[in-house]
Formats: sequence, C-alpha cells, structure tokens
Amino acid sequence: MSLTMNLYLPIAGNSVNCLAIFGLGGAVGLLSGIFGVGGGFLMTPLLMMMGIPPTVAASSDSNQIVGASTSGTLAHFRLGNVDIKMGLLLLVGGIVGGSLGVQIIKVLRQMGNADFLISVTYVLMLAIVGGYMFFESLQAMKSSSRPNTAATPRRESIYAKVVRSLPLQAEFKRSGIRLSLFMPLVLGTLVGVLAAIMGVGGGFIMVPVMVYLLRMPMHVVVGTSLFQILFTCVNVTIMQATENHTVDFILALLLLIGSALGAQIGAKVGKKLGGEQLKILLASLVLVVMFKMLYDLLVRPEVLLATMGGH
Amino acid sequence: MIGNFSRRLAVALFLFAVLVIAPVARAEAVSNIVATPATIDIGAQYDGTTLQVSGTIPSGSEVIVRFSGEPATLHLREKGKVFGMLWMNVGKVSLSRVPSVCLIDSSSDLARQGEGAMPYRLQGLRHTITVDEHTGSTGIDVIDELLLLKRQAGLYAENSGGVQLQPEGVGGRGFKTSLHIPSALPPGNYHVEAIALRDGAVVGKATAPVKASLAGFPLWLSQLAFKHSLLYGVLATLIAIASGLLIGFIFQSRGGAH
Repeated sequence: MSLTMNLYLPIAGNSVNCLAIFGLGGAVGLLSGIFGVGGGFLMTPLLMMMGIPPTVAASSDSNQIVGASTSGTLAHFRLGNVDIKMGLLLLVGGIVGGSLGVQIIKVLRQMGNADFLISVTYVLMLAIVGGYMFFESLQAMKSSSRPNTAATPRRESIYAKVVRSLPLQAEFKRSGIRLSLFMPLVLGTLVGVLAAIMGVGGGFIMVPVMVYLLRMPMHVVVGTSLFQILFTCVNVTIMQATENHTVDFILALLLLIGSALGAQIGAKVGKKLGGEQLKILLASLVLVVMFKMLYDLLVRPEVLLATMGGH
Repeated sequence: MIGNFSRRLAVALFLFAVLVIAPVARAEAVSNIVATPATIDIGAQYDGTTLQVSGTIPSGSEVIVRFSGEPATLHLREKGKVFGMLWMNVGKVSLSRVPSVCLIDSSSDLARQGEGAMPYRLQGLRHTITVDEHTGSTGIDVIDELLLLKRQAGLYAENSGGVQLQPEGVGGRGFKTSLHIPSALPPGNYHVEAIALRDGAVVGKATAPVKASLAGFPLWLSQLAFKHSLLYGVLATLIAIASGLLIGFIFQSRGGAH
C-alpha cells in the first residue's frame, strides 16, 4: 500500500512526515499544558532540524501556539486557574514592552555586537531563572517535610514593603493577592522587552516573574500565562503573515492538533503535581535549554554559514 | 592584386571553417536529450521526485549530467568566534549567481575526467558565484562553506558513476540516469545539461528545460498567503483558535466522565 504520510508545506517549501510533526506538537503541547510556557524555545530548533527554514519555523510555531494555548487556557479556565484581570494587565505591559524591545534591538544592531549581547543575556537569564527556581523549590520541598519550620512567620522583606506601598492597590481574586495595578503592568513591560530582544515568547521568564515577584499561586500562574500567550501569539501570527509571509498554516495545523491534545493532558498532569514539583520540573527544563545554548556557543558549528533568521 | 587578396581570403575562411566551425559542430553532437517529467508538479503529496534523463553522446566519450536552477542572490549569516571562545553570528555574507539547486552525476569517476569536467563540478561554481559582501572578520572560505551548507540541505549533490552508458552505436552512444530531486526544491525554472567529455575535453553539450511549479492545494494556499496576507493571517489564527476550542471541548467532555 502506497499511503504516504508525507505532506508538502507550501510556505516552508519542503515536505514533512505528518506523524513526526504531530508527535513533536504533542510533546511540546504537553510541556505547555504542564508549565504554562509556549514552548517556542524547544519547537523552533526541532523544526529546523526537520528542514523547515528558521523564519517559517518560528512564525508557524506562533500560529500553533494560538491553538494550543486556546486549548490549554480552556482547560485551566475550567479548573479555575485563569486570573483574567492579571493576564490582561500583563498583556498590556507585554505589548508595550515588545514594541520597546524591537526598538532597543534596532539600536543594539547598529552599535554592533548585538548578537553577542543577545546570546549572553539569554544564557544568563536561563541560568538565573532556572537556577533560582530549582534551588528555591528544592528548599521548599525539604522544609515542607519538616512541619515546624513552615509555621514560623517570615520577616517581611523590603521588596514586600515597597510593593505594599505602591498606589492603585487592587484585589486579584483568582490569585488571592492584593497588589498595585502598576506591578503587572511594569513587570509585563520588562518581560516584553526581554522577550523581544531574545526573539522568544517569554513564557519561561513570565512564569517565574508571576511566581516570585507577583507571588501568585503556581497553578493560577500556568493558566494565566497561557491566557496571555494566546493573545501575544495571535498578534505575532497576523504580523508575520502580513509582513514576512512566513506562517505555514499547514505546518501550524499539524502541530496544533498534536499540541492541543498534549496541552489537555498536560493540564491534568500538572494538576496532579504539587506546586513545588511543577517549579522544580520547569527549572530543570530551563536549565537543560541553558546548557544546550551554552554548548552551541562553545562548540564550533559544523558549517560557518547559516540562513538568515536563525539564532 | 584584388584577385590575389580574395584568393587569400577564401583560403583563410576555409581554414577558419575547418579549424573552428567544424569542432563546434562536433561539440553540438550531444543529441536527443530528454528529461522526464519536463514539469514537476509540487502538489500536496510532493515529497521529491525522480527525474529521468536520457540522450546520445558522441562515440568514445563520457558524460556529466547536471540539474541546476536559475542563479540568484543569497544572503547568509557568518558564524565566528567572539572573545576567543563563543561561536555566534559575526557578520553577513551576500553572494550572487548562486544556483538554488545543483545536482551532478556522471558516467565515470569525475576526478578522472580532468580539467574539462571542472567547470561542471560543484567546485566549478567557485568561478561563477561572486561574493558581493563579506562583513565577518574570519578568514573562512565562503564558497566552501556555502557548498557545505547546500549539501547538508540536500540541494547540492555530486555523485559519480550513476549515469549508465549503452553500447557504442552508429550515431554515438546512449546514456540514461535518474536524478533524485529533493523535496525542498523551490518552484522555478531549471535545466538539465548533458556534457560529453573525451580525453579531458568537452566535445559536446546539450540542455533540456525542466519547470517546477506549485499545483493544487499548495498553489491555492501559497496564493492566499502572498496575495491576501491579512486574510490569510486572520484565518490562520481563527482556525487555530477554533481547533483549540474544539479539541478542548472534546477532551473536556470525555474527561468529565471520570
């Protein structure tokens, strides 16, 4: 029987095995559903390995994240894990930050050595975020096994005092916290700037920011992050489709069927895991990506020329 | 005086005809070159194809078959070491007259076909491709790296011995080969060349055109993406959202039974 599983992708300009793409989507969607990250930092390099041009890989990935995060947000929404108010504020900040970041990167490129700065920022960011989350969760897991220490009241930090003294304090019911409206706006902007400079969706920075700086509960963080990613990726997909013609819808559709299913399973797996376990797993994932990037930076590439658009 | 001159002119023309035109006429002796299919349809199921090439070459010669695309400009990034330890993009390379695809095969070992074969080999592109811009400070061989990059993508290939020769006949000898056309073949105009060589010199050459064009669903989608890009972008996001919701609802209703 000559039933072929290959499908030609007109925008990517290559044919792919449907099952391989479907499986890749499923695996990344699973991570997305568990941790609330878009997974672009994993998906784009893997698609490039399958012969997809880097620009098409990144844009089509944004398109599929729209589907996966819709599915993931829905699943988390039903579990009561989406703080819409917080998500919208972070989104507004993210959009402002993204536009700022694009301008910053233009200036950096003119100054030269922008790529060096981007690579080093990326690795440092991953190392700090991953390392901090990893050890913090490890300590929390250890201390939770000793019930007495958890009962001792913690001294209020300077950070907490500053946060409490900010104007426009508001209640975020889903997250169960009271914060100044400026906090998500400013932090959203910062993450937007970093994400635009690094050329990523920013989920892996946004999640730790929500956990440690906004002090949101981990499960609400995941749902809210996915809610926010959905809107960011709708914007990116439409922009890339109109400006650069790099969105391959067929590729995106294949990926998203896999990833939307994966995200559903991920949301359930995440529910079964404790907040600290989730954090430590995400931290491990971030650290693995950091080591991969460090390896790429230190080892001589096989070919010293590369097509435009890749990292 | 004038009669003497015209006699000399006639002799000179005769010699010119014998020495120059005759070998050229002989060099045109590659005949009947046929490439099938002449049009490659890139439809939804396209996953590369096999191009059959056949023809006739002069007696006692070997043949190189080359499939290549229209030369175009290409912009690439160059990787180099920064601060003596980190590999990253350090510059830009712009090249012109780069064939998008170049697939080569021959009837015998290419290395033994001498200088005459050189312009038709991948290394021969060194003399046709021009480096317009090279901002990186590393002393890399840009063409070598380009060949490596294209080979890795499956768009350039050089093989020996894949062209089959038939026994010598009266009008020369027939050849045939199958070239594997990669799935990443960009739509466009291509040509297949058959170059006949004898004793290290080219004795004949012929070409046949091959066209690759999008067909069916890929053609429709590509036109939508390029001609109505906003509609395409909006549709792509709407379908993604709808699919996400649909999968979410199906999964949820199934999961709800637990």
